[in-house]
Amino acid sequence: MNNDKIVISGTDIHKSYDNFKAVKGINFEVEKATCFGFLGPNGAGKTTLMKLIYGRINRDLNSSGKMSVFGYDPAHNPCDIKAITGVAPQDNNLDADLNVLENLMTYSKFFGLRKNAVKQKINELLDFMQLTEKANKKCIALSGGMVRRLLIARCLINNPKLIILDEPTVGLDPQVRQIIWQKIRQLKKEGITILLTTHYMDEAYQICDKIIIMDKGKKIIEGKPKNLLRENIDRFVLELPPLSKNKLDEYLKDSKDVNFEYDQDQPVYCYSESFKSLQNIANKLSNDDYVLRNSNLEDLFIKLTGRRLNENQ
Amino acid sequence: MNVPHKTIRIYSSWYRHLKVYSKNFFSNCFPPIIEPLIFMIGIGLGLSQYIKSMDNLPYIQFLAIGLPLASALFTAAFECSYGTYIRLEYNKVYDYMLSGPLNIDDIFIGEIIWAGTKGLLFSAIVALIFLVFGVLPLNFEILIIPVLGFVTSIMVASVSLIFISFIKNINQINFFITGVISPMFMFSGTVFPLGNLPPPIQWVINIFPLAHTVQLARAIYGPYPIHSIILDIIYCIGFTLIFSYIAIQRMKKIIIK
Repeated sequence: MNNDKIVISGTDIHKSYDNFKAVKGINFEVEKATCFGFLGPNGAGKTTLMKLIYGRINRDLNSSGKMSVFGYDPAHNPCDIKAITGVAPQDNNLDADLNVLENLMTYSKFFGLRKNAVKQKINELLDFMQLTEKANKKCIALSGGMVRRLLIARCLINNPKLIILDEPTVGLDPQVRQIIWQKIRQLKKEGITILLTTHYMDEAYQICDKIIIMDKGKKIIEGKPKNLLRENIDRFVLELPPLSKNKLDEYLKDSKDVNFEYDQDQPVYCYSESFKSLQNIANKLSNDDYVLRNSNLEDLFIKLTGRRLNENQ
Repeated sequence: MNVPHKTIRIYSSWYRHLKVYSKNFFSNCFPPIIEPLIFMIGIGLGLSQYIKSMDNLPYIQFLAIGLPLASALFTAAFECSYGTYIRLEYNKVYDYMLSGPLNIDDIFIGEIIWAGTKGLLFSAIVALIFLVFGVLPLNFEILIIPVLGFVTSIMVASVSLIFISFIKNINQINFFITGVISPMFMFSGTVFPLGNLPPPIQWVINIFPLAHTVQLARAIYGPYPIHSIILDIIYCIGFTLIFSYIAIQRMKKIIIK
């Protein structure tokens, strides 16, 4: 890896709240102008890690941890980082009584931007996020998709080098998700480094150059989405309805290159590198109540983090 | 992009509050302007039929000196208790302010100054109304009242911030408003002079910031020993520095974590 390209790095990062350890020794490196995804179930520590990166909260300083964001340590120079960073949060924290323009204008003051220069920038951003027609609408009257687009527009107001997107498309319809992905790709092309958290595997697959899958505050695996799939999970998956173990054994009798995951009363997942092997199993079924497909990040995610809920989800 | 200068960061916090507050300006102005007037009409006109003078002043004038500062007391107490708590827990305003290049000092110095601005504005409006109705005499010194309104509000705002940093839910603000702010209004020399109260009670009352700004306001309109004026001023400066510092430390503790 080319060291000049690394703009964000963290070594042995820990964060605890009272008695709860949210992040337990994470290491990561992010290259310039890439999209880096933090994945994991709820409570995995993704949002906490994002907040540590822009100094919104302080990491535990007693560990041997080090962090550098564009040359600054968020524990000591959070404002220097925030001046070149845009943050789009998971929750709507727009000022409900202000309209779209006023929200952006008020926010721009935090960066000491001059009114005339910022007007031009706001028009560009509204155009970029397809919100121009909503400029004078009160934020309380915006739909969920518009709010999310406005939050992303807002985080771009200071021409950031880095943007941090916390669950950018959660709860949005497919059209808006596609638009947001397209905008994120466009921003990356402009040289902006992007950190995002998500638990949508398709989102990570679509837009992330590199991902870390986290669980219970720890890194489980890291790499390019395609490589991770290739290296860690069979190429194809056959999903079967819940069935008895005997029945499953009968189906799998002649299939040597098939892995499976069995849990009583749960759908059965069979994995294989060979499409044909899975097809043979499917053919033995008396009906077509099955799904045979390529494996995806979600399968990998579930394989790594388990199918059951943990106490933090 | 560089981090803006501290004054710009503090201004941006103040500006955000101004912008949001002025969206509903008239409904927001209603309580701090109308409440002292109701008090003046009810208590002032009513009681002045029986009490001709208090502390060598006509009772209405006695009230008119303290009520503008009471307006500053209430506006700051509500702004930095309910207002701050809602920004903190419900609207997540500090989350978005902290995603800009501001730190907790910038945000809360701006917020305390914003509360002070409201105190200045409303004490000026209330004093002006009393002036127009001839309750307060027209003189140059009346300009001191809004300054004292500002000072009252920044002291009260700091205490309010400290209080809400300890509470567990919004209902507990009742303890502050009814348990601290209402007695402060009643026992700070606004409604009656403190001189004749038993000394231990006077000593307790002297903790209240409003008692000191009201005494300074009274010094405009009557003889008042210079050393007392100096002590009141020192009290106000010391109170502001100590309690705003504690307020900011408390906010750091609960927000940055």
